[in-house]
Amino acid sequence: MIKLKEITKQYSGQAMPAVDQLSLSIPKGEICVLVGPSGCGKSTILRMINRMIEPTSGVVEINGNDVTNTDTDQLRMGIGYVIQQIGLLPHRTIAENIAIVPRLYKWPKEKIRKRVDELIIMMGLDLEKTRGKYPSQLSGGQMQRVGVARAMAVDPPIMLMDEPFGAVDPIARTHLQDELLRLQKEIKKTIVFVTHDINEAIKMGDSIAIFNAGKLVQFGTPEEILTYPINEFVENFIGRDRVVKKLNLYQAEDAMQPVGCMVPESELPNAAQIMMDAGVEVAFLLDEAGKACGHITSSDLNEFGMDMGGLKKRVLRTEKAFVQTTTPFPDALSLLLEYDVDYLGILKGEELCGIISFKGIRKHVYRKEGE
Amino acid sequence: MSWENFRFALFEKAPEALLEHSMLVGITITIAILISVPLGVFLSRPKFKKFGLVTLNILNLLQAVPGIAVIALTLPILGLGMKPAIVALLFQSLLPIVRNTIAGLLGVSSDVKEAASGMGMSQGRILFEVEIPLAIPIILSGIRTATVYVVSIGTLAALIGAGGLGNLIMGGLALFRPEYLLVGAGLGALMAIFLDRMINYLEYRITPPGMRVE
Repeated sequence: MIKLKEITKQYSGQAMPAVDQLSLSIPKGEICVLVGPSGCGKSTILRMINRMIEPTSGVVEINGNDVTNTDTDQLRMGIGYVIQQIGLLPHRTIAENIAIVPRLYKWPKEKIRKRVDELIIMMGLDLEKTRGKYPSQLSGGQMQRVGVARAMAVDPPIMLMDEPFGAVDPIARTHLQDELLRLQKEIKKTIVFVTHDINEAIKMGDSIAIFNAGKLVQFGTPEEILTYPINEFVENFIGRDRVVKKLNLYQAEDAMQPVGCMVPESELPNAAQIMMDAGVEVAFLLDEAGKACGHITSSDLNEFGMDMGGLKKRVLRTEKAFVQTTTPFPDALSLLLEYDVDYLGILKGEELCGIISFKGIRKHVYRKEGE
Repeated sequence: MSWENFRFALFEKAPEALLEHSMLVGITITIAILISVPLGVFLSRPKFKKFGLVTLNILNLLQAVPGIAVIALTLPILGLGMKPAIVALLFQSLLPIVRNTIAGLLGVSSDVKEAASGMGMSQGRILFEVEIPLAIPIILSGIRTATVYVVSIGTLAALIGAGGLGNLIMGGLALFRPEYLLVGAGLGALMAIFLDRMINYLEYRITPPGMRVE
């Protein structure tokens, strides 16, 4: 665990301290995002953890040890460090770049080689093609992958990431974020992540610390911060679409309702009766293999009556109206709008396990807001 | 012009003169590198940066003094021969190497240095494994400039008895033998071009493949 105790950083010649009397505990094994407008002191805070900057007053503790008790080089070797500018050594190959910290630890050659290969693969890069290349031969996204791999080389328990994905294009950024989250599930590092992008903070953070002018304004889980912004500054920083942003926190299964009724395709003419008997608004149709292939609602039945051709067309329109249990709300909403339907089937793998509706999403969000 | 004089200058006089000249250049440049590169490293450290401008100005001044004047000035102190010649030539060769060493080291991207120190590389390691390797092409280009200077100004060293290709030129002037002049000046020019190309090639070879401008 990283503990900051009443940290202040005052640069000479500046009226206001860059960081002012900050106390913060960063829990172990989680991603803590420091977010705020430029110049709010978030990078300074990060850099005080590995002593790239020394605080004017206050103490930084890692697992109860004051960091000033450890030699700076030793301290930094044990903390992964990723910066926006990446800073790969241009005269070293990718493999040599990743091997820097293991070499500082004087690992045997064979162990280094194995670890480097493992990391290149883990970061989703082509092993044979990448290993001997020089940084200038890679794209921005690939370089940052190498930057992250390099920081993880000796498997440090703590990683500091200073706007790590700030300089890559939006598509690569999304990929890198998703991969870091996927990796984090396995590696469970304590990650301190600096960004100025609230959306990135919401996506990446187990907890978020919002800063303004060197002061901590609010600290909490993304849900807490989006539900109870503490003051106007936080509200403005989050933006008017606060509740829409909140949708990212939930997945389809959170608003899942049971499937009331399933009808084999051949029984379509009797669907109205079956649904009435079951007392449901929506029924899923099963194809010959028993796989859900679309749905009909009671309003469809009212509209088309016994016009089987029309009904079949309507069902066909919903053949892709399915999401996975882990699909985030915004994607589910997008599909609801795209297919102009009220319901989506929720699949667990291939199997239908529930439904999600506009109404369900609304209820879920409302309940969460009111909590 | 006579073929006989030319032949004599080229085959009887030139080999010794060329050897002396090479020695003069070799010793001077070696000493210059040994002084200039550490000086440049020192002056590029954050703590001592403030002395950089003063030092460069002093070296600039030294270089601005015409070579022949330096040679004349060293004569009363160090006497005749190779030694005063080397001192005089050193004056001329320090500046480009120091200047390029500083420029090369300061030109290393701060992102790279930040990342290196953030990973726990010590300042010494960063200097030897990051800064110097990245600055070496620029340092070498300073050495190249200095070498070409020394080859050409080195001909004046003959005035104080240091020998070298200057002997042929002075001899030619004194004896009205243009053949001697031609051989001395011609070999001097060839030597300058040869060394320039050689160091240029070295610069290319030593630049890491990832940084070469193809």
